[in-house]
Amino acid sequence: MLKAVVGFITGIVFIGIVGWNMADVMMLREVESPYGVEETAARIQRNMQSLSANGWTLSGLRNPAKAVANSGMNVPPVLLVEGCSTKYSGPILKNDATRILSILMPCTITVYKKDNGKTYIGLMNAGLMGKMFGVGDIMAQVAKDQEIFITFDPKKPAPPLIKTSPGGGGGAGGKASDGC
Amino acid sequence: MLKFKYKGSLLALTFVLSIGMIWPVHANDAKAPEKAVVSGAVDVFGIAVDEQKKKSTADHSKFKELQVDFKDGPAVTKACISCHTEASKQLHKTKHWNWDYINADTKQHLGKKNVINNFCTSVPSNYKFCTACHIGYGWEDENFDFTAEEKVDCLVCHDTTGNYKKLPGLAGHPNYKTMEWPPHSGKFRAPTDLKQVAQAVGKTSRATCGACHFRGGGGDAVKHGDLDSSLTTPDRYLDVHMDAKGLDFSCSKCHTSDSHEVAGSRYQPTAVDDKGTLIRGSKEERNAATCVACHGNVPHFGEFAKMNEHTDKIACQTCHIPAYARGNKQTKMSWDWSTLGKMDDQGHAMKIKGSDGSVIYDSKKGDFTFDHYVVPEYQWFNGEVEFTLADTKIDPTKVVKINSFKGSYDDGKSRIWPTKVFRGKQMFDKGNNTLVVTSLSDDPETALWKNFDINKAVEYGMKYAGRDFSGEVGWVETEMSWPITHMVAPKEDVVECHQCHTENGRLAGIEGIYIPGTNTTPLLDKLGFIVAFLTLIGVLIHGAIRYFMHKRGG
Repeated sequence: MLKAVVGFITGIVFIGIVGWNMADVMMLREVESPYGVEETAARIQRNMQSLSANGWTLSGLRNPAKAVANSGMNVPPVLLVEGCSTKYSGPILKNDATRILSILMPCTITVYKKDNGKTYIGLMNAGLMGKMFGVGDIMAQVAKDQEIFITFDPKKPAPPLIKTSPGGGGGAGGKASDGC
Repeated sequence: MLKFKYKGSLLALTFVLSIGMIWPVHANDAKAPEKAVVSGAVDVFGIAVDEQKKKSTADHSKFKELQVDFKDGPAVTKACISCHTEASKQLHKTKHWNWDYINADTKQHLGKKNVINNFCTSVPSNYKFCTACHIGYGWEDENFDFTAEEKVDCLVCHDTTGNYKKLPGLAGHPNYKTMEWPPHSGKFRAPTDLKQVAQAVGKTSRATCGACHFRGGGGDAVKHGDLDSSLTTPDRYLDVHMDAKGLDFSCSKCHTSDSHEVAGSRYQPTAVDDKGTLIRGSKEERNAATCVACHGNVPHFGEFAKMNEHTDKIACQTCHIPAYARGNKQTKMSWDWSTLGKMDDQGHAMKIKGSDGSVIYDSKKGDFTFDHYVVPEYQWFNGEVEFTLADTKIDPTKVVKINSFKGSYDDGKSRIWPTKVFRGKQMFDKGNNTLVVTSLSDDPETALWKNFDINKAVEYGMKYAGRDFSGEVGWVETEMSWPITHMVAPKEDVVECHQCHTENGRLAGIEGIYIPGTNTTPLLDKLGFIVAFLTLIGVLIHGAIRYFMHKRGG
């Protein structure tokens, strides 16, 4: 009996250690981009717009690196491309139990440069997140769309970066907007 | 892989993301605001004109010689040299005036008017355009009189108003009449008020030097990467020395001058300075524009003292300039001339813009790429630069180095330097295997930018320069390098140990040196793993023996 308990606890600890060390890979993905930061962000925006049939609109483009630079520090470029689909966000926001997941909205894809001079794309693992919080079906669709966002056609010319403001004007009860 | 702090909880993740959401910054903020060009006693170059007047012992607006409605630049210079009698004679001896330089070590005949680069390629046959950045008036062909004192342009370096601009195509003159600028823009530039500019002359500044040096390659930030208009009024993070609210160095603080000859050279750079601090006023014949000249040979103290052990192999700039083009200005990284000449559907010359608004294709010039916050490429450099000149035979099957930086681990005089390597594809003479001089701007019949005929443009350019031309133009890949020495970051932003001492770190690929963490010895690595494994086995066996012995004994 004692052996069984010890084995069980050891197993849990082992799984815990593995899970802890794998957490970053499981929840976040990093993909190298063949383009520079601005062009990568612009191509993601264009791909997001191409999925307007799934309700996707651009919600904003943020530059946290600029804010850091303004406070007097050097950081490589980072751009946050924000988009939202009411088709997916609607059911989540409708339900009291899942409304707290609005903390993950809008859907953000980060584009950044690393010390090796290359550009990378960072995404959340929408499929896994969805399963963890009971909205697996919806987030599985988001995950599929994410793949399209980061699939680039090199034959197409570089689109202009859309310097859109964050969406959602007016707060609760305010003017409706396309985005979240 | 992500850092440890991001692992674990979703809450931590969302917290990080939510911080991102409250940053009220958008990409259209990315371009630093241009300093407004205003007249009079206003802060234009980081220091108020009135303030400068207070510090100066001479108020030039009170000089009768300058209370004149000048008809042109040379008339202003005549007034200047009526008091500063030796100024033009001094200037006539400088690189800034002659664009001509002989490297005493390599004996190569260099200087802006002689070398070929991989931007706009060459000066001859394009004088009116290129000499917008000459410190003289009227250099429009090879007959320019380099002995004429009144042709020295005092104002371009000593202007404090920001209203003095030499426009391309005017052979070094500012505009004396109303002029549409940029061409076909519908914007008009009023005639230059020479009297106002002349009465407000003062010391050189980042803006006056930058009027040309920030715009090398034909535009802001284009050529050097570590020099652009963001340095006119930089913050501390961009350049700790030039920080407008801090030390506020002007260029001349490091690039000291003696009889108008300015310290520092791109043709014969100082790659290694181990002579310690240089007292200002010292008669030592050394380049004053080095880090060591102020900071000495042992610049690191306390917890950073270990860094002094790096300085025999690594240039200061390698650690202290983590990246160039950090001022949100895009610097040009490549230029492919071979694609020039494409027209739009209506048969007109066109420009195509990239995602950030930079022009990435121009019918006149071909394709470009740009980047910002660029991690330098590192190479050994001992200060010797060998140029591929107009008469140098090239191998067009290989990438031609327009300028080769010499140096190695074991020559005893090299350091690892950060560099910008600019890559191009440009015209060459297929028959003679030489780079070519190309008529781009001046001659209405042959200029490439007016006729889009590369053969005609090269033929005229080569004839103009007195070079033999086979008649056949080809395209060759080229590289040109610049040492990175500006945009010095504050100490908290220097390149950190782990950025080099890691697999594929910044200095991976540097030959002749063992860098712990970067370089590996496969045999040693295998031995290490075997020893560790055997140790583990030994521990397990030892533990097992003790366990069973205990059982048996108990």
